Amino acid sequence: MSMKPLCVKLSVQPSRGLVDEKFTILVQNLLPGFQLTIHALHQCEDGHSWEAFAHYTADATGTVNVSEDPSLDGTYSGVEQMGLLWSLRPVPGSKYGLRMRKMNVQTPMVVTISVYQGHRTEGFLDQVLLASVMVERWYMAPGVQRVPITDGKLTATLFLPSGPGPFPGLLDLWGGGGKLVEYRAALLASHGIASMALDYLTPQITKETGKMVDNDYFETAYRVLEQHPQILGSRIAMLGLSFGSTVTLRMAVYSQVVKLSCAVCISGSHVQPIGGGLEQILASFSKHAYKTRLDENNQVIWRDLMLPIPTDPSLKVDMGRLQCPLLLVVGEDDQNWPTHESAMDVKEMMDQAGNSHLLTVLSYKNAGHLIEPPFMPFARASTFKTITNPPTKVMVLWGGELVAHSRAQEDAWRKTLVFLRENLYGGMKHGASFSNL
Amino acid sequence: MIALGGKMIPCYTVQRNLACIQRTVGGVHWTSSCRPAPLLTASPVCALIDDKISIRGHFLPPRCPVTVCAQMQSDDGDLWEAFAHFNTNLDGTVNLTRDPSVGGSYLGCEPMGLLWGLQPAPGAREGLRLRKKKVETPYVMLMSLLKGHVSPSERPSTELAAVTAERWYMAPGVRRIEIRQKGVVGTLFLPPGPGPFPAMLDLWGMGGGLVEYRSALFASRGYASFSLAYIGHKDLPGPQNRINVGDPYFKSAFQLLQDHPQVYPDRIGIIGLSFGVYLTLRLANHSDIKPSCLICINGPAGSTIKLRDADDRTEQMENDQKYWTYDDQGNVSFRAVSLPANLSPESKVKLEHLTCPLMYIVGEDDLSASSIENANLIEETLSATGKSQLFTRLSYPGAGHLIEPPYTPNSRVSLWSVKPQKLATLWGGHLAPHAAAQEDSWKKILEFMETNLRH
Repeated sequence: MSMKPLCVKLSVQPSRGLVDEKFTILVQNLLPGFQLTIHALHQCEDGHSWEAFAHYTADATGTVNVSEDPSLDGTYSGVEQMGLLWSLRPVPGSKYGLRMRKMNVQTPMVVTISVYQGHRTEGFLDQVLLASVMVERWYMAPGVQRVPITDGKLTATLFLPSGPGPFPGLLDLWGGGGKLVEYRAALLASHGIASMALDYLTPQITKETGKMVDNDYFETAYRVLEQHPQILGSRIAMLGLSFGSTVTLRMAVYSQVVKLSCAVCISGSHVQPIGGGLEQILASFSKHAYKTRLDENNQVIWRDLMLPIPTDPSLKVDMGRLQCPLLLVVGEDDQNWPTHESAMDVKEMMDQAGNSHLLTVLSYKNAGHLIEPPFMPFARASTFKTITNPPTKVMVLWGGELVAHSRAQEDAWRKTLVFLRENLYGGMKHGASFSNL
Repeated sequence: MIALGGKMIPCYTVQRNLACIQRTVGGVHWTSSCRPAPLLTASPVCALIDDKISIRGHFLPPRCPVTVCAQMQSDDGDLWEAFAHFNTNLDGTVNLTRDPSVGGSYLGCEPMGLLWGLQPAPGAREGLRLRKKKVETPYVMLMSLLKGHVSPSERPSTELAAVTAERWYMAPGVRRIEIRQKGVVGTLFLPPGPGPFPAMLDLWGMGGGLVEYRSALFASRGYASFSLAYIGHKDLPGPQNRINVGDPYFKSAFQLLQDHPQVYPDRIGIIGLSFGVYLTLRLANHSDIKPSCLICINGPAGSTIKLRDADDRTEQMENDQKYWTYDDQGNVSFRAVSLPANLSPESKVKLEHLTCPLMYIVGEDDLSASSIENANLIEETLSATGKSQLFTRLSYPGAGHLIEPPYTPNSRVSLWSVKPQKLATLWGGHLAPHAAAQEDSWKKILEFMETNLRH
């Protein structure tokens, strides 16, 4: 019998990957039946530490394979290949209401995956560590170019895939928190779509003039994409989350300049006063601010502000006039926007107008408002800084339940990529061939 | 081609009646309503050198000729490239894991052919060998999808799509530590984590210097690994063209590993390539050095030169020249130097005292060392002393001397020295069999290490 101590082997493949790539975690050379805890630790850009952990028991071959074996307990349970990432939560003692968002996409998210003996739930730093590896998760694939855009008074960043192009283009809009958030556009460019992240609530021009941008701003952004030598002007999409959806639908239906190949609206609504600018839309929300509710933890629920869905056509986008394919992503437990009710109304409008063949709705039970790229930690509520002047900080309830929301993110992202590829790359029905030269 | 104002402009897609021009000409952008360029993907896009990569083209016309081409720049700035010709599938895709190359740097279905098939680009310097000096940075591989069955020099006019991939020797968290201790010159690579780790002592050949990349890769696979310099390094006693260290030096290196707090002192193996095989066997022969396993690649069981001995004298390598042979181009083969008959009898390592498993890897087309003969010698010696169960031989037809980590190109011949005159040396090895040998032997090396160092 060998008197040598256990030589535990931990491997994570791949050790460097894109944020939406799956990895395989393998622990080997254990004694059969050995109890261990796999732990993930990440320090995010603002200095907060996040962790996840799961309890496993080695099988008869002395192996634990996270893709195949069930976690018995921890921040997730059952067989969850990526559970150590999406169940990351702030370490005990952290501030309440944190949300993880990568603002610098040129560096990776670094996660330390460790193995501890026994089934532990806390005090990891004091335990004897058996093995540990580091994993890098990237939003930008090698070769993707990050191009800050200031033409036309825009505050934006364009991400170009590698290669000569021409690439399809995409305008990427986030929601009511403002700022220039780049990570989703960087990831889309890593999948071959030239994507522009656009700050439209807190851009430089608004900071300088105190005035909100109007429709021209979005049309300028569209034109920058359309006229870019490496972007195919005839294949441009818009993707918006939350308030970004509001803008997307308005542009898709009413703009004379913006001609979309397709649109994706996540956790959004078509409800908005038609004909005005962003100020009018925000004002209409404020008018209904009295409908704000608080949950049992005093967290803000804003979903009622747009309810009931108006019947007055001047208060919502005329979806019957939409001419491009639309993908709506709905979290049924969205506590921030009435996404589900809006999607139902959109469907009804399009059914009546006869263009509902353009509509696809992905609806996820127990998913909340913040449906983001997959494998990122979930926040059921977080501190939200409004863009009002002066800004106020509130604790907003987004909704959703950890496991269901994480599954929704994974499924919605995959289907979003398929939808975008089909509409932006697809269409070989015309039978082009290289021989026509 | 279409004519526009008398000027012929190349275009690659014509759609019904609509002529469309995709490329900018002199900075002017020609608008068109054609489809976007096809997509080329690589997965994983950041990988370790010994990881496979899946390369695919999408959204192409069906049954069309395309070329996939790879380019990589060495640390010295030389460009290496490879290309392969395919015909797209009915669904408009090309998939290097599924589809055969019908021409180019390699033939047949070879998912990693664009990597091991890399050659110096036309116009490159002569006699190159691809070796990474800076292991802390990746190789950046630019892969392109070209229209038709063409050669890479026909970029950019035929380029449809491109993707960039990184190939790393070091996984995140691997630590690289320069060692200059007790006269020992080397680089230690430690895996991430608390340790302790099983370890390898890593020895290369007479080319000298400090070769780090195999150790970096072992550390990325969970083994502490120590690359040791013994000739041709400025921090070693001079002159640089001779071995000026002896047995005490190699023992110190082994003990350094044993004494390291993050290394298991009784789980250390030794790997040697070429002359490194002799050093491996010689070191393991000391009664107070107890490695857990030995891996020998294409090297001798004895030597024509003496290591620095008690009288502080060493014989020069030039005495070997009587065994050098030359081909028609004046390239030298060192093969005969290590024929057992030419090795000094007292230098032949007494393998009778071996106590640990030994794996010997033979490239049957080795033109630099008499690997087959030395493998036979070792096997016979061990058999005669009832230790054949310790011996494993891997023998690869068509493989040459430089059996290195997989998916890297082999050089059949490369520049050996420039003084007194330019001399290139023959390593041997034919393209596809050598690549297969590297892939298979690396897998078996890691399994052998797993069995002997972890269990």
